[in-house]
Amino acid sequence: MKELALAVAVTTASSFSAMAASDVVKSPPAAPYEQVSKLVKLPDFLPGMGQLFVDPATLPAGPFLAYDHDGKLASTIYMLPIKELNPDKRFDNLAAPGGNVDHVDVYYNAGHPGVPEPHVHVVLWHTSAADEARVAK
Amino acid sequence: MRLTRREILCAGGGFAALTLSSSVAWTDDIVDIAMKARDDGSQVWFDPIGVLIKQGQTVRWTNLNPGNSHTTTAYSPKNFGRPLRMPKAARPWASDYLLPNETFSVTFTERGVYDYFCIPHEHAGMVGRIIVGEPAKNGWTQLDGANGDLPEEALEAFPTVEEIMAKGVVLRA
Repeated sequence: MKELALAVAVTTASSFSAMAASDVVKSPPAAPYEQVSKLVKLPDFLPGMGQLFVDPATLPAGPFLAYDHDGKLASTIYMLPIKELNPDKRFDNLAAPGGNVDHVDVYYNAGHPGVPEPHVHVVLWHTSAADEARVAK
Repeated sequence: MRLTRREILCAGGGFAALTLSSSVAWTDDIVDIAMKARDDGSQVWFDPIGVLIKQGQTVRWTNLNPGNSHTTTAYSPKNFGRPLRMPKAARPWASDYLLPNETFSVTFTERGVYDYFCIPHEHAGMVGRIIVGEPAKNGWTQLDGANGDLPEEALEAFPTVEEIMAKGVVLRA
C-alpha cells in the first residue's frame, strides 16, 4: 500500500512536471509570462540567449524562458544579482518549468534593463551544447 | 610663436589628419563613441572612454552591442540625483535606452570636464569622460565630495584629465 501511494505520488508529480513543460515548450509561454522586450527596452532576440519571457513578479531572479528563432524552448535562465549572493539572502524554490536539462552554464553579466546591476546567469539548457547555436545569433 | 599640440592639430589641417588619424577629437568632425560589450555581456564599455574636443563640437554615441541596450547619461543631480560632474552652466543630457545601432548626439558649448555613465552599467564601470577645450579653473573636479556615491568600479574606470589632455583620445585599457 505504501509502495502504491509512492507510485501514485511520483506519477502525479511527473504529470505536473510534464504539464508545466508542455505549457512552456513553445513560444509564447502562457501567462503570467511576458515578453521581456515588451517590459523593458531590450532587443527582442538576444544573441546567445534567444527571445526571453519572464513573469515580472519573479524579477530579478526569474526564471527567464529563452526561445530560439523557431519558438522552441532553448533554456531556462536565472539572473542572480551579485550583491544578493550573501549570507543573508537565499534564492529558494525557483520555478523550473522547462523540463529536462541537458547541461548548465553559469557566467557573469554586467547588467541590462530589467536587471540593471552585475549579476550571474545560471542557464539550464534544454538542448545539447551543439544546439546552443540555435540562439547564437 | 610656440605652438602647443592643440594648436598644431587645429592649424595643421590635412597634415594633422594624416599623421594623427586616431586623434579624431581635434578635427571639426563629429566625434564617435561606441557602446560595446563582450558577446556574453560580461564586460561593457564606451570606446573611446575619454576624448578631448573643441567648443561647439558634437559627440555621437552609437550602440554597437547587438545583445543589450545602453544609455549615455550625464552625471548631474537632474539625472536620478547623481553627483554633478560637469560644468554647472551646461545642460545635462540623458539619451534614454538606445537599442542596437541607435545613436544619440550632444553638441558641447561650455568648456570643462564632463563625466557620464550608462544607467544599467554604472556598477560595471561603464562610464566616460569628455573634456571640452580644457578643464575649467575651479571646476567640479577640484571640489570635495565630487565623487559622491559613485561605485568604485566607475571611479576606477575614468581616464585622468591629464591622460586625456596628453593623448586627445583614450581607448579602454
